[in-house]
Order: sequence, then C-alpha cells, then structure tokens
Amino acid sequence: MKHVLKLFSLLVVISALWIGLLQASIIPRSHTWLLPIYFIVSLGCYGLLMVGVGLMRFPTCPQEALLLQKDIAEAKDFLKQKGVDVGSD
Amino acid sequence: MELADRAVGFLLSITSLSIFTYYTFWVIILPFVDSDNFIHNYFLPQEYAILIPVCAGVVLLCLLCIFIGFVLLKSKKKKA
Repeated sequence: MKHVLKLFSLLVVISALWIGLLQASIIPRSHTWLLPIYFIVSLGCYGLLMVGVGLMRFPTCPQEALLLQKDIAEAKDFLKQKGVDVGSD
Repeated sequence: MELADRAVGFLLSITSLSIFTYYTFWVIILPFVDSDNFIHNYFLPQEYAILIPVCAGVVLLCLLCIFIGFVLLKSKKKKA
C-alpha cells in the first residue's frame, strides 16, 4: 500500500512539473507536449532492459538440479518398496 | 538453451538501450540544435516522435488482446 502511495506521489510531482513547464513556456509548446510520451517510452525501455538483464543473468544451479534428481530417484525407490504406484518415468 | 536465452537477453538490452538513446536525442536534445545543422538529416520530423510510439502502443495492445482471447478460447475448449 505504501509503495502505491509513493508511486502516486511521484506521478503527481512529475505531472505538476510538466504542467508548470507547459504554463511557463520556457521551451516551445510542441516540445513540451512530447514529454509525457517520452516518459512512457523511457518506462517501456526500462522494462525491456530489466527483462533483458534478467534473462542474461538468469540464475541456474546445476548442482542443486543433480541433487534434486537424486532425491526424486530415492523417493521413488522408497515408495515402490512400500507398494505405492508412482508411475514410470 | 542457456546460451540462446543469454543471447536473447543481450539483444533485448541492446535494443532497449539504443531506442532510449535515439529517442532521448530526438526529443530532448534536438530542439536545442539549430534547424540547419547537418544532424537533422538523421532524424525524422518532430511529428513522427508522437506518431510512431502511439502506433506501436496500439499495435502492442491489439496483439495483447488477441493473445488473451486466444488463450481464453483454448482454455474453454479444454474444459468442455
């Protein structure tokens, strides 16, 4: 809930800044109108970058996978001894 | 498999960084450059800076809706 409030206040501050810039017309109007779209495009780029970085440094642990497979085999053996049908793999 | 994932991630990062750099140049820096500078030859007119992102967003939204509809139809067929 607090995170939502933080994001919302950030949005309000940014829009206030933008409206101020629009009213003050320090830079030409047509360029000020581009800023929200620029904001959205940079958000999209940030999302894409985060997905790319997450894909690039996706953590894998091969040793743990081997241990897990061993555990599964052990459990299957145990269950088969007790007469539980675990199906064939 | 892992290498392919890594390559896709690298490609995504490069794409997003290059789009961000190009768009920043286009929107933020270009208005402060003289209009007869040679650098203006490398950028489309200012109107396209609005048109292209909006069109891309609409196309993306349409694809998303189509995908969601497809998944819903598929799940309904499986249930029946």
